[in-house]
Amino acid sequence: MKLTVEQVGHLAELARLELGEEELNTMTGQFASILEYVDRIQQVDTAGVEPFTMPAKDEGWRKDEAYVCDDAARDIILSNFPSRAGDLLAAPGVFQTPKK
Amino acid sequence: MQPLNELTITDARMLLDRGEISSRELTQACLDQIQGLNGALNAYVGVYADDALKAADRFDIRRSDLRPLGSLDGIPVGIKDNMMLQGKPCTAGSRILEKHVASYDATAVRKLLEGGAVILGRTNMDEFAMGSSTEHSAYGPTKHPRDPERVPGGSSGGSAVAVAANMSLGAYGSDTGGSIRQPAALCGTVGLKPTYGRVSRSGLMAMASSLDQIGPFAKNVLDAATLFSAVQGQDSMDQTTADEPAFVPEWKKDLNGLRVGVPRAMWEKGGIEKRVLEQCENAIQKMREAGAEVRDIELPYADEGLAVYYVLMPCEVSANLARFDGMRYGLRKEALPLFETYVRSRAQGFGAEAKRRILLGTFALSSGYIDAYYVQAKKVQTLIRRAYQKAFDEVDVIATPTAPNTAFKLGEKLNDPLGMYLEDVFTVSVNVAGLPALSMPCQTDGGMPVGFQLIGKWFDEAGLLSAAHVLEQRLK
Repeated sequence: MKLTVEQVGHLAELARLELGEEELNTMTGQFASILEYVDRIQQVDTAGVEPFTMPAKDEGWRKDEAYVCDDAARDIILSNFPSRAGDLLAAPGVFQTPKK
Repeated sequence: MQPLNELTITDARMLLDRGEISSRELTQACLDQIQGLNGALNAYVGVYADDALKAADRFDIRRSDLRPLGSLDGIPVGIKDNMMLQGKPCTAGSRILEKHVASYDATAVRKLLEGGAVILGRTNMDEFAMGSSTEHSAYGPTKHPRDPERVPGGSSGGSAVAVAANMSLGAYGSDTGGSIRQPAALCGTVGLKPTYGRVSRSGLMAMASSLDQIGPFAKNVLDAATLFSAVQGQDSMDQTTADEPAFVPEWKKDLNGLRVGVPRAMWEKGGIEKRVLEQCENAIQKMREAGAEVRDIELPYADEGLAVYYVLMPCEVSANLARFDGMRYGLRKEALPLFETYVRSRAQGFGAEAKRRILLGTFALSSGYIDAYYVQAKKVQTLIRRAYQKAFDEVDVIATPTAPNTAFKLGEKLNDPLGMYLEDVFTVSVNVAGLPALSMPCQTDGGMPVGFQLIGKWFDEAGLLSAAHVLEQRLK
């Protein structure tokens, strides 16, 4: 399996990554050798074999419940915000567009 | 007496409990070593001298009141930079988390703190644990303690060097495809990847959640058992932790009755350094001399294991790293429209290896390819687990080299991702199968360390460590 530069560029967009032209070319080249190696799994006969899944625990054990964190943890969480307005998280608007 | 930072945990425990040394002296000796060597080796990316000395003093008071907390009480250790310690930075070796401070303790870290362990600092790692050389850290590479022009292995290279260079008595790392065992091998320490489900990953920054496991680096097998014991156990915060009887060491004096399987085809596949093979062959001979019954075994899909890993792991990486979008924490490069904020934050925050794996995973999960890659890899994973199950009907442990080579030069594999991935050829299938495995130094010729890997049955860390302990005595 070989991917084109355009296909890798499309994957980058899906993965929300901005790649420069040089970066894109390098990655495309590296993908060729990695996928060539990885493609050996296609040769394995898996007819009738189920994909592996970890057996889940009965019902799980942790209830989802509101958790009151202490002030120390709260302050750290707030200080980790990339941008804040008081104690609120500030983020660019979903429908905001660049000013012309 | 030898310098205190060179003590094993077992010896330090004895001296601490007798009151012959204090935890402050022991901790200070490690801090002095860090002060002296870290500039050259870059094993630690954060050192908590004041906190460590305070924790040591608390132990010394407990001891004088005859109230020690457990086997690691007063013992200085390092933790990998992807294990959260509340109030301290935790970056997973990534630029995207450069300013990130842990808001809670990882379960493993909490257990260490509750047991009185002295946390010296956080150790360097490949970004989000992706790499086999610790060169993919945003905070500079870690250097091999015996030759600073060589790599220490990775991704937990900082923890391996911290122990190998006596900058701590023990350390913790995480192992997704060999990230504990391979650096342990290259640096000449013992490294244990426990069975999947033994140690809670709550508060460990996720790389590939179905494969990640926390484990110790130690100067010897006894210490590895002590470090592992301290963090094991079920945790309601990590549903994958298993409801199994706890690990309790069972040390045996010899290997009588132990069946050791040697997957010859893997040993003879080529690409393995001659000296690595010779030294590992010698270790096998020592096991025989100690009473083990060594037999060649077939282990099908050994070659496919690495390919399966390099499909499943990137898929999980692409999902796990999707959370780094510049919104609630981590680097944000704001631009409009919102899409631009996402792509720029991630482009500037992630390094090349992280991007490569995110893209690989995105590809293997994308419509039209998911069946051929992700689903097929999960099916081959079933076959790999069955192959191990069958092998363990006949043998008790399986032996291989840990890595195909000894420590390589910095930069040697940096532009050859596939070459770097092949470093993991002996270690990854263990994660794919969820088994416990250990790497221990086996070189007897005084050269660069060679790692010998022993793979145990699911949840049989006791048998695995006991076998390793006997071999360790024989290799002295």
